[in-house]
Amino acid sequence: MEVAWALGQAGAVWLAAVLGLIVVPSALGISLGISEAYMWVLVKTLEWATIRLQKSAKKPQPPRIPTANGIIERDETPMEKEIALLHGADFEFSHIFYFCRKGFEAIVEDEVTQRFSSEELLSWNLLTRTNVNFHYISLKLTVVWVIGVVVRYCFLLPLRFSLAAIGITSMIVGTTLVGQLPNCSVKNYLSEVVHLTCSRILVRALSGTIHYHNKENRPQKGGICVANHTSPIDAIILTNDGCYAMVGQVHGGLMGIIQRATVKACPHVWFERSEIKDRHLVTKRLREHVADKSKLPILIFPEGTCINNTSVMMFKKGSFEIGGTIYPVAIKYDPQFGDAFWNSSKYNIVSYLLRIMTSWAIVCNVWYLPPMVRKEDEDAVQFANRVRSAIAHQGGLTELPWDGGLKRAKVKDTFKEEQQKNYSKMLVRNGSVGSLSAETESD
Amino acid sequence: MGSAHSVPAEMRELADRTGFTSEQIEHLHRRFKQLSQDQLTIRKENFDSIPDLEFNPIRGKIVHAFFDKRNLRQESDGLADEINFEDFLTIMSYFRPIEMNMDEEQLERFRKEKLKFLFHMYDSDHDGKITLQEYRNVVEELLSGNPHLEKESARSIADGAMMEAASICVGQMGPDQVYEGITFEDFLKMWQGIDIETKMHVRFLNVDTIAHCY
Repeated sequence: MEVAWALGQAGAVWLAAVLGLIVVPSALGISLGISEAYMWVLVKTLEWATIRLQKSAKKPQPPRIPTANGIIERDETPMEKEIALLHGADFEFSHIFYFCRKGFEAIVEDEVTQRFSSEELLSWNLLTRTNVNFHYISLKLTVVWVIGVVVRYCFLLPLRFSLAAIGITSMIVGTTLVGQLPNCSVKNYLSEVVHLTCSRILVRALSGTIHYHNKENRPQKGGICVANHTSPIDAIILTNDGCYAMVGQVHGGLMGIIQRATVKACPHVWFERSEIKDRHLVTKRLREHVADKSKLPILIFPEGTCINNTSVMMFKKGSFEIGGTIYPVAIKYDPQFGDAFWNSSKYNIVSYLLRIMTSWAIVCNVWYLPPMVRKEDEDAVQFANRVRSAIAHQGGLTELPWDGGLKRAKVKDTFKEEQQKNYSKMLVRNGSVGSLSAETESD
Repeated sequence: MGSAHSVPAEMRELADRTGFTSEQIEHLHRRFKQLSQDQLTIRKENFDSIPDLEFNPIRGKIVHAFFDKRNLRQESDGLADEINFEDFLTIMSYFRPIEMNMDEEQLERFRKEKLKFLFHMYDSDHDGKITLQEYRNVVEELLSGNPHLEKESARSIADGAMMEAASICVGQMGPDQVYEGITFEDFLKMWQGIDIETKMHVRFLNVDTIAHCY
């Protein structure tokens, strides 16, 4: 009995501490500085670890090149120039060289599949999962690592888990309560309060440190907010600072409960699975939402899938055909403290969340970019590319013209034919064909 | 204060044989695992998962080259069904960049190997000669993407190139002489004096992964 009572006491104290130190301040939007102190200690520890690693390496380290940009040196000269250099402009065996080399480069490493695996770090961050080859280096480092494991799994994980539970429960309860009210401005205000509070609690549950830049460009009502996608957490990161109307598919389970509860309080746009396939229906609903200027801005991730935060892939043009003002947002995570990328082919959502909760922290930068509208002479695809460039430029990410869907599907034939047409056009233009077909009368 | 990084014996042997450094071998091994989806061997289908490669008109020939037993330095002829990591490295070694410390003889051998690789790509029936038909096949494949280009044009390109090759190799031909095909010696002759080593390599960046103590 004594033991049970003591445990009960401990549990109560714990809960009180969590509520008092974390939940209440986040509800009020103030910070007690605990997270900052934690981050400071963390940064100092990781710096120390890096210095120790460098000292113990006997060979002087050559300057590090971020592996996110590739392991082989690529020659970026365009195809025409390179082939022209090879052996005059005549078609000969030499053309084979160019394609052979490109083929081998693609086999050694291609730009696309490397975006679907986690970014490699420049220096170890004391998590086993990021250490590709674990070597025993020094006693001190190992001790620090063990302490790190204990702290992360025995202290941080339960803390974060309880916070997440509190956050999700209050979101469901809060929005259901608010949803009972009749539609009025008080309801909207309360719904915003509830959403913000719960987001803040959930961000604390991940030990998230978010830096928002250019807050004056924050998305306004009746607009569409567009961001690059790295993980399911992106939505929480953004709702920490403002209220959005989410767009998505209806799920079952816990996610479904959350969706049903929140839609009562705030007009989120949830689609049934069957509706998602009908593009016109989707566009129509979104257009109606955007037309109503009193409704919250919609949040969309046009890439359609999670990319590893080193690049921005093709934006699907659907979101850009709706009209209205687009507010681009760039999100860049710092992988040193924890990898936020969800590799859905490798981990399911539960193991992903577990990994996130046992990382050191989630640190990211969010830039709000100035609003953009589609120009008269632009079509949806060009507009999408323009927005994508702005986001990539701000976040320091590379731009890839590839479709994120390549994670699971193969390259479309139309793409392939484009390329091949280019080559044969160039060949023919160089006059090597002589006087054969009509197209060759050139130069 | 750390322990020495022990390179497994087989890795060292691979490194010696193929000329890659152990870092590069590790990178390639990771890539191999990615392509094979953690199996021990790769088959032709595994190359389908590379989007960049889809654009390449001679994709078929490149993939074929990986399974060509002549390139794998095996005594037999024909095609292998699947290759393991060692074979993968062997093929990759054809695209190794030249090193500063190579002497004349090594350079010559290097060059010859690269050209032999290319020769095998053309010579699809493995008879040691590139015939007109084989050359035409390659040209057609290169031009396959353009539907506007008729077969005739592809054929004339091939014929023209073949004639040029003949003139280099055999000199003036009599009216009833038939040029059977380009042998490997002729092939070498064509490329004499032309610097192919710099065009036919894949150069690795100097990357150091973390926590290595050498």
